[in-house]
Amino acid sequence: MNKTLKLGLAAALTVGMLANCTKKETTGDTSTEATATTSAKNAELKIGISQEFENLNPLIMSMSASSYMYRMVGRTLVSLDADGKWFTQLAKSIPSLDNGSAKIVDVGGKKKIIATWELLDNAKWNDGTPITCDDFAFALKVAASPMVSVGEKETFTQVEKIEADPKNPKKCTFTYEKAKWDFYALAQFYPLPKHLEEPVFNKYGKEKEGYEKNSNYTKNPTMKGLYNGPYTITEVKLGDHVTFEPNTEFYGTQPKIQKIIVKLIPNTGTMEANLRSGTIDMISTLGLSLDEALAFEKKVKSENLPYVVTFTPSITYEHIDLNLDNPILKDIKVRKALITGLNREDLVKALFEGKQEAAIHNISPKDPWFTRDPKEVTLYPYSKREAGKLLDEAGWAMGADGYRTKDGKKLSLVFMTTAGNKTRELVQVYLQDQYKQLGVEIVTKNEPARVFFGETTRKRKYGAMAMFAWVSSPENSPRSTFHTTSIPNEKNGWSGQNFMNWSNKDNDKLMEALDLEFDAKKRLDLIHKITKNYTDDVPVLPLYYRSDVSVVPKNLKNYRPTGHQFAETNDVEKWDLGGSTLN
Amino acid sequence: MTTYILRRLIQTLAVIAILSYVCFYLMTLMPGDPVDMMISSNPKITAADVARLRELYGLDQPSYVRYSHWVGDILKGELGYSRTYRVPVQELLGPRLTSTFILSMVALIFSIAISVPLGVFSALRPGSKVDYVINFFSFAGISIPSFWLGIVCIIFFAVWIPLFPAGGTQTIGGPDAGFFADLLDRSKYLVLPVLSLSLQQIGRFVRFTRSAMLESLRNDFIRTAKAKGLPRQIIIWRHAFRNALIPLITILALSISSIFSGAIITETVFAYQGVGKLTYDSIIGNDFNVAMVSFIISVAMVLIMNLVADLLYGVADPRISYS
Repeated sequence: MNKTLKLGLAAALTVGMLANCTKKETTGDTSTEATATTSAKNAELKIGISQEFENLNPLIMSMSASSYMYRMVGRTLVSLDADGKWFTQLAKSIPSLDNGSAKIVDVGGKKKIIATWELLDNAKWNDGTPITCDDFAFALKVAASPMVSVGEKETFTQVEKIEADPKNPKKCTFTYEKAKWDFYALAQFYPLPKHLEEPVFNKYGKEKEGYEKNSNYTKNPTMKGLYNGPYTITEVKLGDHVTFEPNTEFYGTQPKIQKIIVKLIPNTGTMEANLRSGTIDMISTLGLSLDEALAFEKKVKSENLPYVVTFTPSITYEHIDLNLDNPILKDIKVRKALITGLNREDLVKALFEGKQEAAIHNISPKDPWFTRDPKEVTLYPYSKREAGKLLDEAGWAMGADGYRTKDGKKLSLVFMTTAGNKTRELVQVYLQDQYKQLGVEIVTKNEPARVFFGETTRKRKYGAMAMFAWVSSPENSPRSTFHTTSIPNEKNGWSGQNFMNWSNKDNDKLMEALDLEFDAKKRLDLIHKITKNYTDDVPVLPLYYRSDVSVVPKNLKNYRPTGHQFAETNDVEKWDLGGSTLN
Repeated sequence: MTTYILRRLIQTLAVIAILSYVCFYLMTLMPGDPVDMMISSNPKITAADVARLRELYGLDQPSYVRYSHWVGDILKGELGYSRTYRVPVQELLGPRLTSTFILSMVALIFSIAISVPLGVFSALRPGSKVDYVINFFSFAGISIPSFWLGIVCIIFFAVWIPLFPAGGTQTIGGPDAGFFADLLDRSKYLVLPVLSLSLQQIGRFVRFTRSAMLESLRNDFIRTAKAKGLPRQIIIWRHAFRNALIPLITILALSISSIFSGAIITETVFAYQGVGKLTYDSIIGNDFNVAMVSFIISVAMVLIMNLVADLLYGVADPRISYS
């Protein structure tokens, strides 16, 4: 037998042996196997995400993926559901002025709110310790500490103090620093297990970042007693995966899925391959980009794959901030020309197959505050002729080269966004062409996200136009993006998101009044006035409202992406894949 | 020889110290520090939050003050705390360094095992059909983009012909089945990343080996050895290959020095928990502590492997002396 044939046989044997030793990606439970042709069952669900996560201390975490996972293991007083309605989690009911469980009091000339929150009798940490007001009070104490790196303290420090009823440790009186209408919106005010974390805080809390470095969430994240949600964490490998199993002490319905693994797959290009090979069973809303989801949806249909690609309209508002420091954009006629000459309907059809809705202002149709009533907001239907007319009136005359000029200067605008984002780059190309027809030169210049957001937008170095998105929640005050005090500058440490440098004193007063308006109808009126100012002044070009995309097995029931920052994992105990739950 | 080694080690430490400050300083010049990124992702962060966080993280200090604190911590054996992951650096880096070392070492050994014989074989038959085929595949290996190769491997061997997992480092959540079972489990996750990584390395090493062997075979002493009637295998391996080792040692030493710096593209495509992607993410995310420690490890490896290479020259070539 010659050498070549021997080598070939040896290679074939090696591959064969490896194939026998190798099986599809499963966990140690060999009774379950998820492949592209079979559906996952309640024994196990593997979810793919493409975004990094950090340690799951609810006070310290700041990444979306961390929040996505935390909602499987941690609950708080209230949250927002997929319909945008507030619902209770650990609380028995939501206090309100109407039923007397909350009242406005005057303390030294300052209006405050005192509200009574009563916790569920069976709400416990996963070591069986009851959750009490002390856990919330302790969380407030930790968050208020200057030595703890909580990002945004106001979430917690809006509550001045928390007192427990001496006769009922689960009946809490919250005293709020200010009398704001959304006092009950404490969906990110997570309790901490005082019985486990207080010793750590007492020992290390005086050192800078001492608490978070030594917290049980850091040192022993699978410790019993850290979580109160439907699941508990049984394994954490930062940068790789987190494993969740049902929490037998959970106050609500026991989850049907017996094991969930959230796996990080940083490259979205291989996400589909991982799904089809069975490495994962579904892709979360923190997985694919829209164009990848559209492409995969076509494959699902043509190859009859056992998945559903969901497109859920969200609150996320993709837009272009206009730099009002730019002398060209100071002229409102130019801004109105830009918005009128932008065919958003065509853009969403051409690039997104209509799966994302064209935006008319910053509030999404999912938001109860949304309106498209032309009496309440100024609408700008597409009209190339009207846009051209506005530019003519502004003094920008069309030149022989197809571009407009004024006083010898070409109408040229620098358009920036995050580099490497294919969807945004496509939008840039589309808009470049649209505006070229109007005689406006668009020069694109993109930067990595950390430079774009870290420096360029905040310091208004983006030339003329900056495209990105805002993520928020329904009925969210636009103060941080519209108020004059939210204009980043050196004095305020470049905080605030009013990157346009838009200052409208009337709007400032309306926003200040909005925070303190308890009547829902009056609030609606206020927000509509704010939106009217916004659409009149055109400091921003609205583009579209993004859709959250996910890919789930066909047999997954009760899965409802929310389209806002309170992820669908809020309902994870209801998810049902059918099939046996027993090993 | 000892003096030489000591002198080189001192030089290594000096270079690491200088480069560490340069790297630290360059990172401080990058736009967008961790607090800036928090501001951009959370609209509710106030000016007071910003000032507090900057003071807490020490970002309000000049770069030389922050550097001196960092050096002080390193000398005490504290690698610091990851700003991104919120865990101690050693907890983050340790497992990843191990995974990267395994991946890189296996890929390197596999590459050397394939490329050296192929390179020698090709050099012994210059201009032949075999030589052309080997050269063709070498150039293909060098030219193919690693991310494309990785994706193709996944599609072929994980989706179309499901032999191997599409990504990951090991099976999640399996029971502890012992050392060998664990080794076998990890090895199946290594196959595709190693294949992807080594195909490029094989291309490079084959070309270098071939070139070095051809150069060596042209020497007069080879003609002398043939004239003396020495067996062909002795001529090839004891004389020609031995002389071809010097440039090969150089290239191999540089390859070994990258064992701990990771292969970011391969690790990203295969979701392999290595240090390459971690380093990249930490630089992009301004996670100073992780980035600096990764940097120090990479620099130290390059310098130490250069020293090893220099010492190996003396072993390969008795004419070289360090006394």
